Amino acid sequence: MGKGGMSQGEGSKVEEENMAAWLVGLNTLKIQPFPLPTLGPHDVRVRMKAVGICGSDVHYLKTMRCADFIVKEPMVIGHECAGIIEEVGEGVKHLVVGDRVALEPGISCWRCNLCKEGRYNLCPEMKFFATPPVHGSLANQVVHPADLCFKLPENVSLEEGAMCEPLSVGVHACRRAEVGPETNVLVMGAGPIGLVTMLAARAFGVPKIVIVDVDDNRLSVAKRLGADGIVKVTTSLEVDVVGVFRYKNTWPLCLEFLTSGKIDVKPLITHRFGFSQKEVEDAFETSARGSNAIKVMFNL
Amino acid sequence: MLAKKTTSLISPTLSSASFATTQTHSTLTATTLIFLIAFTLTRCFEQRRVMGKGGMSQGEGSKVEEENMAAWLVGLNTLKIQPFPLPTLGPHDVRVRMKAVGICGSDVHYLKTMRCADFIVKEPMVIGHECAGIIEEVGEGVKHLVVGDRVALEPGISCWRCNLCKEGRYNLCPEMKFFATPPVHGSLANQVVHPADLCFKLPENVSLEEGAMCEPLSVGVHACRRAEVGPETNVLVMGAGPIGLVTMLAARAFGVPKIVIVDVDDNRLSVAKRLGADGIVKVTTSLEDVGSEVEQIKKAIGSNIDVTFDCAGFNKTMSTALAATRCGGKVCLVGMGHGIMTVPLTPAAAREVDVVGVFRYKNTWPLCLEFLTSGKIDVKPLITHRFGFSQKEVEDAFETSARGSNAIKVMFNL
Repeated sequence: MGKGGMSQGEGSKVEEENMAAWLVGLNTLKIQPFPLPTLGPHDVRVRMKAVGICGSDVHYLKTMRCADFIVKEPMVIGHECAGIIEEVGEGVKHLVVGDRVALEPGISCWRCNLCKEGRYNLCPEMKFFATPPVHGSLANQVVHPADLCFKLPENVSLEEGAMCEPLSVGVHACRRAEVGPETNVLVMGAGPIGLVTMLAARAFGVPKIVIVDVDDNRLSVAKRLGADGIVKVTTSLEVDVVGVFRYKNTWPLCLEFLTSGKIDVKPLITHRFGFSQKEVEDAFETSARGSNAIKVMFNL
Repeated sequence: MLAKKTTSLISPTLSSASFATTQTHSTLTATTLIFLIAFTLTRCFEQRRVMGKGGMSQGEGSKVEEENMAAWLVGLNTLKIQPFPLPTLGPHDVRVRMKAVGICGSDVHYLKTMRCADFIVKEPMVIGHECAGIIEEVGEGVKHLVVGDRVALEPGISCWRCNLCKEGRYNLCPEMKFFATPPVHGSLANQVVHPADLCFKLPENVSLEEGAMCEPLSVGVHACRRAEVGPETNVLVMGAGPIGLVTMLAARAFGVPKIVIVDVDDNRLSVAKRLGADGIVKVTTSLEDVGSEVEQIKKAIGSNIDVTFDCAGFNKTMSTALAATRCGGKVCLVGMGHGIMTVPLTPAAAREVDVVGVFRYKNTWPLCLEFLTSGKIDVKPLITHRFGFSQKEVEDAFETSARGSNAIKVMFNL
């Protein structure tokens, strides 16, 4: 049972202080110790291997808030992640030490009406990596419920596992909008989310997809990734509206799309960094730049 | 066919009558009388197709030739009762004598602006579309209706060839021909010709006025279907005008347990309360008040709001609707107050509050009539003012309707 930052899990021969990238103030990230909680019977401890940077992570760095979520005290950043199981709680049956897994970030309460009807992404008690006050996963290790860890197929890499999180946004949007072989689609924006949405739409059988953006780089990536049409647009001004919030029950489908090759997310990973103070700072700067930087990935 | 036979029967009869002048006067009178009775009785029992031409209708039962008159929108704020020639009756058409016609907000809008969204009145157009009447003539292909039937009319004629029609969403047909949506003439007239399949026979206990009310009620019914309300969805209605009220009545008929309705007008709120609202909240037109009004609304309903109907359609009402509706709920935009809106859409979308639009209705008349005949819905209290069909009364009626407030539904009795 790992206590006070010193992990003594299976496979680790030396006592290790768990470190993480903390958002300590405006524009200030610091790699600092990150004590792990006690492993519960249904938890696993995961050694992080791949963590992507999301636009929301950048937004928290730059503004210390995101909509109504405010960073009031230092918080570990990051939530798009995959790693290797190093310890399992006694109640965990479907995972063993050594398994490579992708993590679904949000822990719902499973008691409220929304959870009970399956719309658990809307749970008011949701605890989500790097949405304050809950710590994120850009760390050496995290402890997480085993049911939110999805074993990666043999031919799916750890980086692709981390990509399941943004891909899930696209998959959930496709489900909500009910796209399929008879719905032609327009995507506004060819950033990471526009691109995963386009990839997901194609995997859902959408016959024709046009994508628009203000940035030529992103449009050419979109074309290479299979857009039927691209249109360069401006920012000056011009139905049933359906909203989406995160995703639900998407990891299995994402992994199926990845293992079958129906979706290839690898071209979205444009920049890679290691886990050191300087590299963390450079990585976020790169991600914030946008344009030719689509998905910035940490390899730990 | 029979007409010709009857006519040919008359001629020899008349000639034999004149031939009989040599007979006694009383015999002539008796003979003439017998044939006249027989003639009249025969005409009452036969159905015959008449080619209505140039405004002169020669339908059954009308002994004198009648010029069909209608209320025409001839210019800004100008309605004139003028002749309205009827088209030829097709095999699947009926000719209806109008008895009850309600005024809709869109009719008033056309009067005041000569347009509604992208529909522009470019030449004089007969106004009115909420109507019911009595069948006076049926096309030869019409089986389900007979002369004398009282019917409510569904205004819009779809093409039935396009994909939208074929999948049943005929209300969205791009070729739709709808009473009093230019350039199609409306139904505030003595008579109209209309497809029989769009005429719905009124149950015995449903009046012609209630029949005319099926049209606005259909808007509420269609909105309830689109928003998927039922026994487990609590509802908020923005606006207690005619549309807010029929939407509330429809929602209740769909089994909605709790309904709160809001408005700026006390008159309309008290009508809503009388019609069964569980809660009423007086609101303002100021965006600043959204927060406090959402609080009041939540207090009034005592539970989550699953579905909100915005039956007014303004920045303020949509903003309130989006904020008041629970995560995963729906906001149905029914009213068309503002063409372009500025609303806090992102926070609502991030709570998966879906915005659902409606355009008129589809397949609602049978359900409306079922609600009316069973008493599940009573629309009669919504009819607050009545007028006859004369130049002055038409003008007064529209003025009354435009006033709003205590005038909810203004009805013509023809």
